[in-house]
Amino acid sequence: MIPAAGIYIHLPFCSSICPYCDFSVVKGSSGTRAHFVESLTDEIRICAGSVWPAFVGTDSEPSFDSIFLGGGTPSIIHPDQLHNILDQLEESFDIVTDPWIAMEVNPEDVTPLQLSAWKELGVSYLSLGVQSFDAQSLEFLGRQHTPGQARESVEMAKAAGFPTVSIDLIYCLPGQSQGSWRSELSCALDTGPDHLSCYQLTIEPGTGFDVRKKQGRLSEISIDQQAALFFETHSYLESEGYTAYEVSNFASDPRHESRHNQKYWNHQPYLGLGPSAHSFSGRSRWWNHPGLKQYLAAVDLGGRPIAENETLDSWQICLEAIALGLRTPRGIDLEDLPGNRGPAIWHRNQAVLHRWVETGLIDADPPTIRPTLKGMALADTLSRELDIPMD
Amino acid sequence: MFEAGFWALGSGLWALGFGFWALDSGLWTPDNDLMETIRNFCIIAHIDHGKSTLADRLIQRCGGVEERQFRDQILDSMDIERERGITIKSNTVTLLYDAQDGRRYTLNLIDTPGHVDFSHEVRRSLMSCEGALLLVDASQGVEAQTVANLYLALEYDLEIVPVINKIDLPSADIERAREEISEDLGLDPYEAVLSSAKLGEGIDEVLEAIVQRLPAPTGDPQAPLQALIFDAQYDSYRGAVMICRVKEGTLRPGQKIRFMHSGKDHAVEEVGLMQLERVATKELEAGAVGYVIAGVKTLRDIAIGDTLTDADHPAAAPLPGYKEAKPVVFSSIYPMSTDDYEDLTDALEKLSLNDAALTFEKDSSTALGFGFRCGFLGLLHLDVVQERLRREYGLSLILSAPSVRYHITLESGEEISVDNPSRFPDPAQISYAEEPYIKASIMMPERYIGTVMELCREKRGSNTTFNYLAVGRVELTSELPLAEVLFDFYDKLKTITQGYGSFDYEVLDYRPTDLVKVDILVNTEPVDALSQLVHRDKARTRALKYCDRLADTIPKQQFKIAIQGAIGGQIIARKTINAYRKDVTAKCYGGDITRKRKLLEKQREGKKRMKIVGSVEIPQEAFVAVLKSESDK
Repeated sequence: MIPAAGIYIHLPFCSSICPYCDFSVVKGSSGTRAHFVESLTDEIRICAGSVWPAFVGTDSEPSFDSIFLGGGTPSIIHPDQLHNILDQLEESFDIVTDPWIAMEVNPEDVTPLQLSAWKELGVSYLSLGVQSFDAQSLEFLGRQHTPGQARESVEMAKAAGFPTVSIDLIYCLPGQSQGSWRSELSCALDTGPDHLSCYQLTIEPGTGFDVRKKQGRLSEISIDQQAALFFETHSYLESEGYTAYEVSNFASDPRHESRHNQKYWNHQPYLGLGPSAHSFSGRSRWWNHPGLKQYLAAVDLGGRPIAENETLDSWQICLEAIALGLRTPRGIDLEDLPGNRGPAIWHRNQAVLHRWVETGLIDADPPTIRPTLKGMALADTLSRELDIPMD
Repeated sequence: MFEAGFWALGSGLWALGFGFWALDSGLWTPDNDLMETIRNFCIIAHIDHGKSTLADRLIQRCGGVEERQFRDQILDSMDIERERGITIKSNTVTLLYDAQDGRRYTLNLIDTPGHVDFSHEVRRSLMSCEGALLLVDASQGVEAQTVANLYLALEYDLEIVPVINKIDLPSADIERAREEISEDLGLDPYEAVLSSAKLGEGIDEVLEAIVQRLPAPTGDPQAPLQALIFDAQYDSYRGAVMICRVKEGTLRPGQKIRFMHSGKDHAVEEVGLMQLERVATKELEAGAVGYVIAGVKTLRDIAIGDTLTDADHPAAAPLPGYKEAKPVVFSSIYPMSTDDYEDLTDALEKLSLNDAALTFEKDSSTALGFGFRCGFLGLLHLDVVQERLRREYGLSLILSAPSVRYHITLESGEEISVDNPSRFPDPAQISYAEEPYIKASIMMPERYIGTVMELCREKRGSNTTFNYLAVGRVELTSELPLAEVLFDFYDKLKTITQGYGSFDYEVLDYRPTDLVKVDILVNTEPVDALSQLVHRDKARTRALKYCDRLADTIPKQQFKIAIQGAIGGQIIARKTINAYRKDVTAKCYGGDITRKRKLLEKQREGKKRMKIVGSVEIPQEAFVAVLKSESDK
């Protein structure tokens, strides 16, 4: 059986560009935005006609049970335009009744009117780009909203009755102490979110922060401090009833987990549409041109805006499954690994696994290997050290 | 690291392998029946005083070679020699000179290697000459090293012709140079020939002086054969090509010859003269310098300094001065990537065809895998071999800390030699240990004497004395453990004398020492490649240095790492690398898993190049950083 697939729509517009962001984003005039929405619906149509057999490697088409509207800032796209996009998806693909629909929104865009329009679209998971509840941090991050707006947006979203209201936060900011981060988390929990994504600030090439770093005006916090804040995040949220189902993602109840993001971590297929969006068929990956111009040019010529693609061999899939699995408490199911590598991995890595069990990094209960929190914090090392046999 | 301050008995770079003689073979008819038309000589000079330029001019004058052809030839010579301004392999060339007396002379210009590591070769070369040109730079005057070179030449009773070179320089002071030749060298200043090798001035005068003032060789072509092998080259078709000086008797093809020291017999296939190309002749008589090919496969099968004689009519005794070239410095060489082991084996075998002084045997290290324990004549020799392996064979290498060879007497009375820390016996079984000492001779301007004496004291020097060579120039001699010289001695000397100090040494003898083996432990596991043998007084500093460098280069890992220096069970130095607790990036990747995987794949590749000691991953850079000499820093 083909696992249910997900759709990701990249809406690359923002009213201002944040200095930490390395996603494909532009400000874009209303004319450009309208042009883009047109092209996006074209891409959906072109895709529907050409992609599917290759996508899953079988003749039958998958059905989609999740749609993620990301960006960029989907909340600055007019609800009517979003409507058109969703309608086109409905028309072109086999989408289950009542799919899980997520949408990223900025707090300053949240109004009762907008909320009801988004609800109307069927959005079931509202992800608020709060990033911080501290005025100084918000300014540092280049955000356009105030702590007050952040709080109100969450409360309004809750009141509007979305099944899941999620907050995005960024931590590991320069100078951030465990105390100040904890009080921010506490502010966040006061608003009663169902879900939290707590991402660590990383300085990516080509961003505003990167420029500042090169000029010596900005430095990342030490790895020791990063570790302290990571564990603080997990222990505090855990104590407040939120379960970490991935290194950066916490839910108050399993039904609030992000259905779409889990497809990334579980090697389920997903189709990405819009500039820079990534797709995965179960065996191969491809991704669209990140630049809006290139994207538009390709689609306007009636082609698919694919920049590159790769076909994974079973060793690579295995490596990914391990790396991704170790980022979740669910861990790795050795029986699920491609090429029946599970037993070999288990036997080859006995000494290493034994050491990890002894030092409290994993629980090994064949056929599963589950990282502890300590182990999840070292997921990169663990997935680097496991000896994975070649074909 | 060695270039500054070393005196050069030879820096001639006009190498072989060039066939200009073929241009006019009519030239090639020496009066070689006449011993009195042969002159065997070398050029001795302080580095940079123009020796190679003068040699080039002499060759050009006698052979009519174009300037351009010379350049080509120089470019072909060994890079490392050119860069360091020293000659490692000496080359010999035979020139024909039509002198003013109307006779055609055979001039054998014998080049000499220019570094103390190769002093046995220098001596062998000097033994093949009757005379020497002593080159003095007209603007620099007599350098202290020039004096040392002169003494060495006089030791072999060579007739000396002083040549004042670079007279074209605006700063040339010929009168002062003359004064110094008289006062410092005790030679007649008015016998000095003036030249500018650069401009080609005075070259005829130099050639006439060679002919008129240097003695012809002596010897009896009918006497039992005695030929001194003073150099050898490897030819991939013909095997070893021996360069020799026939002292007595005659060498000819078909003759059965015997190596007097090794006792081996061979049949002569070909003899001839060394032009820039080999030119076969029917024989080599007493007094001649030329080559012999006798079916000897590799350079390993012969010993420089051995005497050739006729197997059927052997000479009573070999020529004096034979000394086996013994390696004094040892180091283990490992390929960076274990896949390169075969290539390294190959490269060492090939190198040793050309470099008989290089010894190697299999060695292995838990951390670095398979490699070779190699023996060298000195640090420069080690450096040259290492450079050649890198450049000519494209190998990436890790070298263990250089060591000398210790003599250890066990409680049982048994005496053993140890140059590899891994062979160091249980200290409880050791009665006493001895280490090699050298007599170092350091020449420098007077103002540095205090700091240099301090350096010698710090390096456990004894019997340190000094004497004035001239006003303001001092020669300091000190008896130093060779092991101390291997560890950042040159560089310190260079630094404290601001490049003016020169250094020469000869191995003296073995003396008692308090020897210990220092192990470096990473989380209590010894890293065998980092063990070293040192004097007890130096153990702690050395261990600390290694621990520091390791702590700087081993990345943090998921557990705490203790780096310790130890003598047996006793810890003498310690450093700690704290653990990291988190490496996962809690970042939002969205659907871009490819990027994450590629990063992981890259890291896994990098990990393959890590060496694992216990459970600690040590990147190769750490070994390189720890083992690199001070000068590379």
